[in-house]
Amino acid sequence: MRVRTRRSFLKTTAVAAGATAAAHVLPVGWYRLAYAGEAGYFESEFGITDALCQRALTAALAKGGDFADLYFEHTISNWTMLEDGKVNRAYADVELGVGIRTVKGQQVGYGFTQDLSKEAVLAAASTAATIADGEARKPAGEFVTLKTDNYYPLKRLLTSVPLDVKLPIVQAVNQKAFELSPLVVKASVGFHDQQKRMMVVTSAGAKVEDLLPRNYLWASVVAEKDGRRERAGWNLGGRKDFSFYTPEVVNRVASGAVDRTVKLFDAVQPPAGEMPVVLGPGLTGILLHEAIGHGMEADFNRKNISTYCTMIGKQVAEPFVTIIDDPTNTGMLGALNVDDEGTIGRKTVLVENGILTSYMHDKISATHYKLEPTGNGRRQSYQHYIQPRMCNTYMLGGQSTPEEVIKSVKKGIYVKDVSNGQVKIGEGDFAFYVSQGRMIEDGKLTAPIKDMNIMGNGPKMLRNTTMVANDPKMSESGAGWCGKGGQRVPVGFGLPTCLVKSMTVGGVKA
Amino acid sequence: MNRDMHDLAAGSLKHAKSAGADGCRVSVYIDRRVEVSYRERKPENIKEAKRNYLTIDVFVDGRYSNQTTSDLRPAAVKDFISNAVATTKMLAEDPFRSLPDSKYYRGRAETDLGIFDPSHKAFSPEDRHGIVKTMEAACLEKGGDKVISVTASCRDTALEALILSSNGFEGYQTQTYYTAGASMTAQGEGDRRPNGYNFMTSVQKSGLPSPSAIGVGAAERTLELLGSSKIKTETLPIIIENRNGSRLLNGLIAGMYGSNIQQKRSFLADKKGKKIGSDHFTIIDDPLIKGGLGSQLFDNDGITARTRTMIDKGVLKEFWVDWYYGRKLGWEPTSGRPANVVLPPGKRSVEEIMKDLGRGILITGFIGGNSNSTTGDTSVGILGQLFDEGKTVQAVSEMNIADNHLEFWRKLAEVGNDPWPYSSFRTPSLVFTDVVVSGT
Repeated sequence: MRVRTRRSFLKTTAVAAGATAAAHVLPVGWYRLAYAGEAGYFESEFGITDALCQRALTAALAKGGDFADLYFEHTISNWTMLEDGKVNRAYADVELGVGIRTVKGQQVGYGFTQDLSKEAVLAAASTAATIADGEARKPAGEFVTLKTDNYYPLKRLLTSVPLDVKLPIVQAVNQKAFELSPLVVKASVGFHDQQKRMMVVTSAGAKVEDLLPRNYLWASVVAEKDGRRERAGWNLGGRKDFSFYTPEVVNRVASGAVDRTVKLFDAVQPPAGEMPVVLGPGLTGILLHEAIGHGMEADFNRKNISTYCTMIGKQVAEPFVTIIDDPTNTGMLGALNVDDEGTIGRKTVLVENGILTSYMHDKISATHYKLEPTGNGRRQSYQHYIQPRMCNTYMLGGQSTPEEVIKSVKKGIYVKDVSNGQVKIGEGDFAFYVSQGRMIEDGKLTAPIKDMNIMGNGPKMLRNTTMVANDPKMSESGAGWCGKGGQRVPVGFGLPTCLVKSMTVGGVKA
Repeated sequence: MNRDMHDLAAGSLKHAKSAGADGCRVSVYIDRRVEVSYRERKPENIKEAKRNYLTIDVFVDGRYSNQTTSDLRPAAVKDFISNAVATTKMLAEDPFRSLPDSKYYRGRAETDLGIFDPSHKAFSPEDRHGIVKTMEAACLEKGGDKVISVTASCRDTALEALILSSNGFEGYQTQTYYTAGASMTAQGEGDRRPNGYNFMTSVQKSGLPSPSAIGVGAAERTLELLGSSKIKTETLPIIIENRNGSRLLNGLIAGMYGSNIQQKRSFLADKKGKKIGSDHFTIIDDPLIKGGLGSQLFDNDGITARTRTMIDKGVLKEFWVDWYYGRKLGWEPTSGRPANVVLPPGKRSVEEIMKDLGRGILITGFIGGNSNSTTGDTSVGILGQLFDEGKTVQAVSEMNIADNHLEFWRKLAEVGNDPWPYSSFRTPSLVFTDVVVSGT
């Protein structure tokens, strides 16, 4: 097998660099590229010069507009998967392209191309320019490279990890799952790794590059007992270095999936109706994200279509409730060194001691509100335009203990895992699927519950959060996506144990 | 056919073979899409782009991988394929992985599916802006003083796909899609701002309703949500509006996939030939509907598309089984996924049915929820209208229905005469009795 150069290797290899012998002989110095913010990748690999960026931005502002930006992306994604005991399939995807945006007030023109030739880039810029109809504007004469911190330090690129190093990890999860319970009859296991390189260049003269890893190890297990079957899954990951995937993580992924599956054989569906709901720590933060966080994204508020659009400065929760969005949590799925329009990430306090203090902004909404952008301008890929999106959203811990919270409930449910949440922004109404939980009877956790919805209203839920425990926990999932306006971005979330004094539980019995 | 596409696909096949693949399928796609949206009577977003990408399924010594790239520079494609083959060799052998037996490629219907609109090339920026402006204006007018915000949008796509395989499959398909719609946010009581929308998709521009009708529909659907609240938990008849039928059907259909059956994740695995729904429940998968959004002459494996009755008067007749899981199960392949899901319509309109039902809920939207393909349990949030003897009583929200699919479809009491043509799920309105609706 011929040895390949670093350049051609990176451009073309999706599934496991280890597929070629070259992966084993790459020089150590190659790994220095893992440091985020190091400039020059798109110029050295694809010939994207400052002069080309100048021309593209000039074309994007040829009919005026407030500003324009370029978003170059090269993403390599791999999935290595096991079924029926064998790692017998691999999937991969290589995405390369540039998205060009022209902004005039709240109006956006957008063009993108997969072809990075000068002609194609300029054509995409001309498409973006059509949103405006005035005099041409000139972009800044030179670009200043922004310095960023690094919230996802890597010892090595995951695309440089040979496939034969990944395979045993996937196999080990499968083996462990079958060892943990004789009830297990099927296991699907996989490892996903993604490496996104991006570069933002703005007409204001800012230029920044980043390298965003994203990876997770997952298992889905089917168990059989007395003729019944149940299934559940678990995953761990984030923006991690490959060294995260230790034998301990292998065991936690396997046991997380098996324990959740086996427990379902004893689970019942609770009676339907309104009752107190205790949200367990960690994964239930998805409720915070969906039911409350989305309503605080500034695009919905500048259009007056969010239920929170008149509430800045007002009491929206008890004084012991503080909610934060933070892209600076190292290694978490929603971590960002810089957002997708070139704003350096920073922590934003959304609700402080019960008062709504800030929305999450991109440049358009920040201009509308005459504020600084908060670093929440995100997009799925170069094919999509910017929206204000959450990063890692969480509630700070309170004073109660988790035991005190549970003990306060005479009859209700305890929610451990939720999925498939959805919110209606204008009304604040939401619904979530509870995949794991327990009944609470006389202040004690009793029968496991499963497969039902909890329904509510975001602002009402926030007002009805009457106890917050001192056990804040972030979700450790690496597989979380958030969908909005046809775009998916990875996000993180977290919550301490909380009591919501009343929500609708959708059981099967009236 | 685009000659460059063919050269790229054929060259990729050849290169994969020379790199060591003993079987290979190459798919090349080109799509051009344009999106225009308006808000406050001026363009909010204008987006236009062309995408071009290649997907390759590689088979080497019983090993398999699937890889996609949008970097189509000739040298990059060559390297990409060489690496794809090298990677595949490192995976475990799987005796069930292969290209389909070429006999399944035969018998392709010689018909024009009517899924490419020849007038698309003449669809101009002025046409797009005109449609969107008309939808927005109609929605604003109908919404009146209740309007907080209206956004109208139009998206059109022209897709070209070529698939070649090393064992003789060749398939070429062109397709157009037009999606047009509007969403409105209204001033409700207190801080509530109900949002409703009305979007339609068609393969032919002429298949869409008039822009003004779409805009008016968006406003009407939003105004209907005003004053909504939950009612007490009770057992009621429900009607699932035609456009929302796919949401619950998808949960049932997940149990009919060969992949879920082989992986023991299907609650329907042992139900073939058995009654799983009422006599009103029939599902036909018809890939050959003229102008159907899911119409196709062949599936992802290249297997010739055929019309199949999947459920007949409540009896489960067939599963969706692709080539790979068919081999694992020892079954004949059908197709891995539905093309057009058709429920034959009934005779009465929703309005007529409502008059006879007494008190019930017309479900006009779902929120959240899930369906468990292993157990058949499902639970989903609903919104809609409480009615009594054909008359609307109030809008309802923050409510939920939950059941097991094996029980739920037995409660199907009637289907409406109104199949929804703007989706690959051509479902009429569905009427169920004795459903627990959770509220207060």
